[in-house]
Amino acid sequence: MKADNRTKISELQAIAKTIRMDVIRMVARHGQGYVQQGLGAADLFTHLYFQELRLDSSDLKWQDRDRFILSTAHNTAVYYATLARAGLIYPEMLEDYCVDGSVLEINASERLTPLIECTCGSLGQGLSVAAGLAMGAKLQQRNSNIYLMLGDGELEEGQVWEAALFAATHKLSNLIMVIDLNYMQVEGDARNVAAIDPVDSKLENFGWQTTVINGHDFDEMFASFEAAKADKERPSCIIAHTIPGKGVPFLEGQKSHNMVLPPHIAIDALDWLGGRP
Amino acid sequence: MTASGKDTSKSNALHLDDFSVKQDTVQHSVPKYYGEALLAAARANISILALTADLTAPTETDLVRDHLPNQFIMAGIAEANMVGVGAGLARAGFIPFVHSFSVFLSRRSFDQIAMQVAYPKTNVKLVGFMPGIDSLLGVSHQAIDDIALMRTLPNMTVLEPASPADYEDAVAATLAHEGPVYLRLYRATKQDLRPNNLPSLHVGKIRCLHAGSDAAIFATGLMVEQALHAAINLKQQGINASVIDCASIKPLDIEGILNVIKQSKIIVSAENHSVVGGLGSAIAEVMASSNIARPFFRIGVQDCFAEGGSRDFLFKKYGLTADAITAKIKQAIPS
Repeated sequence: MKADNRTKISELQAIAKTIRMDVIRMVARHGQGYVQQGLGAADLFTHLYFQELRLDSSDLKWQDRDRFILSTAHNTAVYYATLARAGLIYPEMLEDYCVDGSVLEINASERLTPLIECTCGSLGQGLSVAAGLAMGAKLQQRNSNIYLMLGDGELEEGQVWEAALFAATHKLSNLIMVIDLNYMQVEGDARNVAAIDPVDSKLENFGWQTTVINGHDFDEMFASFEAAKADKERPSCIIAHTIPGKGVPFLEGQKSHNMVLPPHIAIDALDWLGGRP
Repeated sequence: MTASGKDTSKSNALHLDDFSVKQDTVQHSVPKYYGEALLAAARANISILALTADLTAPTETDLVRDHLPNQFIMAGIAEANMVGVGAGLARAGFIPFVHSFSVFLSRRSFDQIAMQVAYPKTNVKLVGFMPGIDSLLGVSHQAIDDIALMRTLPNMTVLEPASPADYEDAVAATLAHEGPVYLRLYRATKQDLRPNNLPSLHVGKIRCLHAGSDAAIFATGLMVEQALHAAINLKQQGINASVIDCASIKPLDIEGILNVIKQSKIIVSAENHSVVGGLGSAIAEVMASSNIARPFFRIGVQDCFAEGGSRDFLFKKYGLTADAITAKIKQAIPS
């Protein structure tokens, strides 16, 4: 762990807070978008884009860039807000989130090329494409790492396990999958739908390196990504426990996939994020 | 007998790596027309990769595996994942040729093909073997709807060459087209010599293999040979039928097809595929959209599932023969 490479945790926390505020504004503006998932994953996205990924905002097609695939392609409020804060899209674009004709669709699509490395949304497909990209980078002897964010409900898709087996078989150690483990899917608590736990030992038995972390703790995130990159034999999975609605006390832990956020509640939420006790 | 007790003389007589080709084919060493074309292309272009889902010999990718192992990827029995991996490799700059049997590639991976290949126009080449009802293995292995499925996808090119002699052209055309291609092939069971005067296969072009204006037979894949036999039979009976090879099912040569239709009294389509959604449907769409009416008959699998059996048996039983084409045209010709 090299301290000098690290962004200060207080700085990351401040960025995450602004991203959460963006999420609230974006979802409240047109009543579209996923607020609970966005608030829950804000710290993961902040860490990825302000600490982890090697990208060049002046050359988005840089061949040796790290790739990021959002397999949970619906979790776009937090994703686009992060891209804007990271200088990868214009912040004004966020105002048109989910407006007819906007490239910022509720499900991230190819229309946002080249930032979109793979159009997901049909769940279970992202890991296979990530494995192909990882294999391609290895064959070309590039240093790129391929990052993928996957939801826990998505683990119910069989293709995820086909891809997990493939990635381990081909020793795709440059592949790092983050599972946003919020135990939330459309039907409610994911554990009531399928026996997905324990995720770590399942993947370890498939031949993956795994760490289980608190997805809101930047120290744990940093350590787990370092461990993932240090493993030169196995693909890695970071299983990040996250809390839906994190950061706004009255939203925290509310498990709702399609929660509607009325404007007056959004104002309240922004108040909390703005520093109210 | 060896020290381990194995009788090698017996095991040597078995063809351990390839169940899908008849014994006499192996013994008479029929060329691997597709495998050799792919190997030559892959030698010339290191970006070409061959992926297969536990069907290496049956898709003739053993040649790439054995001669260019660094350009071969075994994906295991997981077609959906293989298509996604192929899309990722294409996004990294490679030209993946993704192989399986037609039925598995099209049915098992349809959503993956739609989302990761067709929609983003990744340069993935999908190569399916064992087309139509031509399978001993029965309904699970019979691709009666793959052309229909692939044809409905925007950005997809669909090619079904008439014979293995065309496979080199087909591989070249597939490579020359930047973007998704579905290539539907069968394995040769005999030497297949290209007639000297045969024009090359091109994307978006029909080929007239036999001229005649009483009837036109639009055929694809294995049915081209049946159509040619039908045309010869008909000629002996004083009926002139043209045979049009529609290897490029998508894009269709609409102008070329309309020219043929305008000059013909009766139109027949012939395909080793369901009559729903395949070449016959495509020809019908062309006619209907052009305000041209002709008596029109579709030879193909008549909206039913088949069964396992030999090609001759199945083609006869399900009406995919020169005789069936001949009978249809004779019946339609006013006497």
